[in-house]
Amino acid sequence: MQTATEKLEGLDVWIYHGQIYIPNTYAAGAVGSRFLIELRDKKRIMGTKCTACNRVYVPARSICKDCLANLKEWVEVSDKGTLLTYTVCHEPNPVQPVDAPVIYGIVQLDGADTGFVHMLGEVEPEQLRVGMRVQAVFKAEREASILDIRYFKPIAQCM
Amino acid sequence: MAEAKAKKKPEYIQVKFNKPRLYDWSTGKYLGHFYAEAKENKKIVGTRCPQCKEIWLPPTVVCPKCKVEMGWDWEEMPQTGEVYQYTYLVFPLWDPHYGEKWANPHASATILLDNGVYYRHWLEETDKDKIKIGMRVQAVWKEDYDERGQGPGDILFFKEIGK
Repeated sequence: MQTATEKLEGLDVWIYHGQIYIPNTYAAGAVGSRFLIELRDKKRIMGTKCTACNRVYVPARSICKDCLANLKEWVEVSDKGTLLTYTVCHEPNPVQPVDAPVIYGIVQLDGADTGFVHMLGEVEPEQLRVGMRVQAVFKAEREASILDIRYFKPIAQCM
Repeated sequence: MAEAKAKKKPEYIQVKFNKPRLYDWSTGKYLGHFYAEAKENKKIVGTRCPQCKEIWLPPTVVCPKCKVEMGWDWEEMPQTGEVYQYTYLVFPLWDPHYGEKWANPHASATILLDNGVYYRHWLEETDKDKIKIGMRVQAVWKEDYDERGQGPGDILFFKEIGK
């Protein structure tokens, strides 16, 4: 295997098409594993609750960021939430999980106190509004990955 | 019973990331000429400074010594020389570009070419007891024209030759 190079027409200049490829694997850990397994097996989004700070972390984490307590209490949060912020990425890049444009959003799920970073779908970028209601869309084939959620789609608001 | 016990073992997830990050990089005019000479003519070329007349390899646009522009004075290098020093690499390094193991062990050598210019490249000899400082070596090129175009990578390695 080798790197591709390409000579520019009529010039003594070469373009070197390189890549950095470092396959890596990391352990999700006890808490991260349970979070991903719940996504895969039950299509549930789980958080951990710090009873001292009265805060629910989604995605679940093992330690409270403020009081550093071990978080043992698991709670299920809704698959619906509120869009806190978003960004639209038009530059295609194979590192990103889907084709451009990718819309990344931070969603505060109902029952959670933290923002959950994911993608938004079934929506045009110009339709996006901070504060809009969104709902998780799960994949049919799930493999205990954060991408078992395909994206969050906007839902109609009930007044 | 043992089976039931095994099922109770918690499942742990491993998250894999397996995608290459692509980048493009331009050689520019001077290094581009070096690439072209390697691909077309199997030649190693360096630039000669118009002021101090020293040869620089790999080629540079500005003379590192005099800080003057190099002009277009190219010098072909001899492809034989002697091993000036070498590093014998045993540690199992990974190629960061393709995620594959590099052939190991191998020697990365500074070669003193016959015109007195230093050049770094691999040695064919992988037995560290047979590598000697001062041994005569010669460049071995990739024979397939289509495989060349990698600049310094068009030379596979330097092999030992008789005195």
